[in-house]
Amino acid sequence: MNPFEKIFNFQIISRLDEAGSLALTSQERSWLKTMLRHPASEAAFTPETLSKLNTLLEPEASIEVGEIIMEKARSKERQVYHPLLRTLRRMIMQNQGILIAYQIKHGGERTDQAGFPHKLEYNMYKREWYLQWYSTRQRSLMSTKLRNIVSVEVFPIPAKRIDDLKARIARLLDGLKESACVQVIPTFNAELSRILSAFSCFDKSVSFDEASGIYQIHVNYMRDDSEFLLSRIRFLGLRVKITQGEQLKRRMLKTADMAIERYGGMCN
Amino acid sequence: MAKESFDKEIQFLRMLSLAGGAYSRQQFADRLGISVHTYDKTLRNLKEMVTVLQQDLPAEQGTELSEWLRYNYYESADPLLLFLFRAKSLKETESIRLTLLLTALQTQERTAKDLQDLCSEQMPADSPLPDEKTIRGDLKYLEEVGVILRVNERRPYRYKAANDLIDQLTDDQLLDLYDYVDVIANTQIPSVQGYLLRDTLKKVLRKRGFNPEATETHRYKYNYHSRILDEAHLYTIFGAIQQRRRIRFLYLSPKKGMNYTSQNTNPLFERESAGITDSILPLRVVYDHQYGRWYLIGHHARMGIKKFRMEGLTQIEEGEPVEEEEYAEKLKALEAQLKNSWVTDTNRAVKVAVRFYNPSRSGANFIRERVEAQGQWGVITEESDSTFLYEIEVNEIYEIKPWLRSFGSSCEILEPRWLRKQFIAEWKELRSYYESI
Repeated sequence: MNPFEKIFNFQIISRLDEAGSLALTSQERSWLKTMLRHPASEAAFTPETLSKLNTLLEPEASIEVGEIIMEKARSKERQVYHPLLRTLRRMIMQNQGILIAYQIKHGGERTDQAGFPHKLEYNMYKREWYLQWYSTRQRSLMSTKLRNIVSVEVFPIPAKRIDDLKARIARLLDGLKESACVQVIPTFNAELSRILSAFSCFDKSVSFDEASGIYQIHVNYMRDDSEFLLSRIRFLGLRVKITQGEQLKRRMLKTADMAIERYGGMCN
Repeated sequence: MAKESFDKEIQFLRMLSLAGGAYSRQQFADRLGISVHTYDKTLRNLKEMVTVLQQDLPAEQGTELSEWLRYNYYESADPLLLFLFRAKSLKETESIRLTLLLTALQTQERTAKDLQDLCSEQMPADSPLPDEKTIRGDLKYLEEVGVILRVNERRPYRYKAANDLIDQLTDDQLLDLYDYVDVIANTQIPSVQGYLLRDTLKKVLRKRGFNPEATETHRYKYNYHSRILDEAHLYTIFGAIQQRRRIRFLYLSPKKGMNYTSQNTNPLFERESAGITDSILPLRVVYDHQYGRWYLIGHHARMGIKKFRMEGLTQIEEGEPVEEEEYAEKLKALEAQLKNSWVTDTNRAVKVAVRFYNPSRSGANFIRERVEAQGQWGVITEESDSTFLYEIEVNEIYEIKPWLRSFGSSCEILEPRWLRKQFIAEWKELRSYYESI
């Protein structure tokens, strides 16, 4: 098993594309065969498709590399697949409007909500699926956990409105963009690779001032990611300091105050 | 491309994706331990690859590779670093020939002779015509990697492309397959082969008339993309473990400034090697979900259990095998030591006791949910309406500490007392970072 096979070479791939040809290696089939053992496969396919795939892949070897891997500090996998994914992805692909009913945070249910679905989003940290959709009644973007959706059905939307809805969603998403700057405290520069890894799940760029030895991490994030960003910053403790982002700074100050309070105040 | 060259490209891409934009050419080259000339050459090669692979890339994005790595971050689930695995160098004639052969076999069964004739007709005029031996060699390779198969038992053998997995599926089934591969490659490890398959399926869907947007319905938030770079070493290590062989490598500690040391053939550019050559019996690899990083863990003749960050491993070579008994004994000992590791720490176990505070607002108890989901083998006990207790025996506190700290004021350390004191001191110091605002 060598992921660097020459058949994967970019020139071959691009020539095959031009010719409209395919190259499907046994490595890829073996990977799939192994991964079809995951219980998620049952929600991902109809029983007929799954059994067809298993038959087609029968002659392949499995990849047993999983035997040597230990996964640590992982969130429990609440769900890898949700039964609604197949339905919803087709609605998104076909630009269909939806009528959705879902449970809300504080108990109770919202029913008959009309909207337009945008994307299915998996939160790697919470290990959970969300539907991002535009609510035509509330004129706002919504993010609803798939497990909270009670029902969803097609709701006709005039074809001429679709481009307008898409443009509106793009504008709303644009409006949710935020940015912040986090400085690495130079005494921790030896841990730079760890610190940058901790931010590598964000869209970010890094700047470095050679004279002062200071690294600044510029993070671009969506407004609803700010809780996660803050938890990453708390995770790193004294190693980093927010230098731009007033809201985030105030939150860190408040957290520090409250944490000190938990331990009996400043005199402790 | 030589093995060493891959080490360089992995390091190069990792630095580009982690510290994108931070360094000037000279600084970047210094940190990788290469010359500016090599830096330019590597960057040129990578850019060329990107340009060929991503023809739809907007022109203004195509200029800087570090910018390109950020491109589409929130819009696409395409793993941008996958192209490392497409970097193996190849002669142009070979890539033309292999494409011709594969294309000829897509829908028809053909013999080596048929294919040789076909190549003679279709190879560009300035390329050398392939002889029979070359064609047979190509077919042997394509059969080995499984992209074609032999359809009959007797000579002359006929071949065809091994595309059944795709050809036998209806459009709707293929869409389900694409989604499954997309989800699994993004959420599970290992994933490189899954991402390669995803690329292929994406093309098939387009060929069958699906809109390009049809393959962009899923997104993955907080994904560690650079994790796939370390999968480059995974199969080498797996092979060695299967054969119970030791491995030798040059380890470049990511904590030191330099990430890559070239095997110098030109004495003019000779540098002192910054790494340490080491030899261990590999036992396991650990994937840390908190940072998306990999570790190699093995047994070292003098030092016992030793851990290495995968990203520091270069020039891996297989060494002598050991007896099965020795391997089993070392593995058993390791598993016992790792039992209480938050990640990889094998030092003495400490009992940590923590009080968690439920959120004051009504509704979902996201603190409790997070502790239940991420607290590994720790035990939760009820305390009051507003609090619960969490206890865990864990090897040292260094690895669990960031996780506990990430809960902010919702977490109060009870035991050990010295850890409680550390938290108090740290929160006071953190407060001083922000008190002037």
